[in-house]
Amino acid sequence: MMKNAAPVPSGQDGMTRQQLLELESAPKTRRQILLGRLILVLPLVTGGAALAEYWYLPNYKSFTATLCWPVFLGVLLALYGIGLIVSLSRREARDKLRSHAPFYAFLFVLLMVYDILTLKTNTLLSPYFAYPNLILNAFLSDAGYLAVSTKSSMILLMTGYLWGVGLGLVTGIACGYSRHVDYWIAPFLKLLGAIPSVTWIPISMILMKSLFHASVFVIALGVWFSVTIACITGIQGIDKADFEAARTLGASERQLIFHIAIPSAVPNIFQGMTQGMSTACMALITAEMIGSDAGLGWYITWQRSWAQYAKMYAAIILLCVIFIGINFLMDTIRRHVLRWKETEVDA
Amino acid sequence: MSGKVCLKLEGVSKSFLAADHSGLTHALSNIDLEVNDGEYISIVGPSGCGKSTILRLVAGLIVPTTGTLSLNGATIRGTDPDRGMVFQKPTLFPWLTVEQNVAFSLRMQKKLRGREGDVARLIDMAGLREFRTAYPYQLSGGMAQRVALIRTMINEPRVFLLDEPLGALDAFTRMNMQDELLKLWGQNRHIMMMVTHDVDEALYMGTRVLVMAPRPGRVRADLKVDMEYPRSRTSRRFLDYRAHVMELLDLGRSDDEC
Repeated sequence: MMKNAAPVPSGQDGMTRQQLLELESAPKTRRQILLGRLILVLPLVTGGAALAEYWYLPNYKSFTATLCWPVFLGVLLALYGIGLIVSLSRREARDKLRSHAPFYAFLFVLLMVYDILTLKTNTLLSPYFAYPNLILNAFLSDAGYLAVSTKSSMILLMTGYLWGVGLGLVTGIACGYSRHVDYWIAPFLKLLGAIPSVTWIPISMILMKSLFHASVFVIALGVWFSVTIACITGIQGIDKADFEAARTLGASERQLIFHIAIPSAVPNIFQGMTQGMSTACMALITAEMIGSDAGLGWYITWQRSWAQYAKMYAAIILLCVIFIGINFLMDTIRRHVLRWKETEVDA
Repeated sequence: MSGKVCLKLEGVSKSFLAADHSGLTHALSNIDLEVNDGEYISIVGPSGCGKSTILRLVAGLIVPTTGTLSLNGATIRGTDPDRGMVFQKPTLFPWLTVEQNVAFSLRMQKKLRGREGDVARLIDMAGLREFRTAYPYQLSGGMAQRVALIRTMINEPRVFLLDEPLGALDAFTRMNMQDELLKLWGQNRHIMMMVTHDVDEALYMGTRVLVMAPRPGRVRADLKVDMEYPRSRTSRRFLDYRAHVMELLDLGRSDDEC
């Protein structure tokens, strides 16, 4: 038994990854430590500045504002403050917060600058650029309508998306697996792939029995295309050795599809599903803006036509938040499903 | 002939279309071979002499152009868990854990129920208990190849086909694994057929060494290795055998493996 010569803390087997990194990294200078602390409080400084700007700068002419905006800023600041206090005792959380802190600080600056350019100086002209307070109030006053529109949009998106993914998997696997199926399907894929799926909106409006069905069709079409292509690529790229190994282990032809081909194609399929989601969101909004009578896309055009710009902005911001949420969710699912891939672990 | 004849190749030839469609490549030509229960066949020869082709034919992954292969009198058609194969690459399924990889074959045959204990036992035997729930990317080359081995062993195949199973491992892991393979074979005494590039390995492990020659692939010599296990790699006898095989491979005095 050899003793470890290095002055490592006792019980090194139980060392966490964090401790290891700490041990191996160069010791921090006092300046670095000071800088780190400074960065951590930076969002509080810029957030405070945004609040102060709101309170102490006079509004432009007759512009009025309610308490909404400072309360909103205050809540954001409080959230950050809580995060900061919680992370003080946990090194990993603190490092994570530190890496995000500059951007949070920048966000507060952005909000402040926008408030100055609109509410305080009207540099960005009213009513086209609604000041933050107006947008927040639009959210509150029209919350019911926004909720109904969001629900309608999500139902449409999910119906189209799931149909597209389902059919895409079927055609993709069939094409990747059988040269016969590929022979008949591939030309249509080439044809459809050449043009964005929203091109079909006018035609599908005529052909389908309702606006809802027409929108579902257009959304599903784009998703179907992405998933099919990704699936074909995935299945054709499978290592033949995997099939051979599975065969010698007693897998039937059917089992080869479900236990080898599909699992190996999953990383590609996820890529196709992510890409499909972005085309689906695009098709959703386009369909709603052009032809529908419900949903957030429709809400945006409708409010614009009444020159209700604050409400329009509110809906656009809501859309952004929803789409970010959807992407986050898909990313979380992907990481979990692909946990067997080395590249997914530290990514 | 002693013992029950198990595996039989009669007049087996295999030709492939050349990659550029210019003609045929004769990978194997007119092979006759009988392997009895409990024999460990090492197959050596330069690349392109059809070593792997023999294994793939026995595994049932490819069909012979002419001739027949049979196991205990039954013609070999297609793959069967009774003829297990281990490849040079571990070919573990990356989306399955070690445990799931080992259980894969039983699951495919719908025989897993009630045999989870066997899966655990084999994993313990391979010394991989802590890695039960690890994914293949987390394993070293030697560990992965061990998993590949027990994944095939779970079926207790009568014929074990090893296509350069240790080719990708470092020298030390390799020698350890050679002993492990011999131990495994000693316990079950099924037929082992191992392709290798390493003459020492062939002689250290095989009861018979097939020396093959290329273009077209054929058996140049079928050598019975008359030495007790465990064998010494440095004994006079071993070195004589080695020199003989080298000569058959036209490698003369070269000290290197082919």
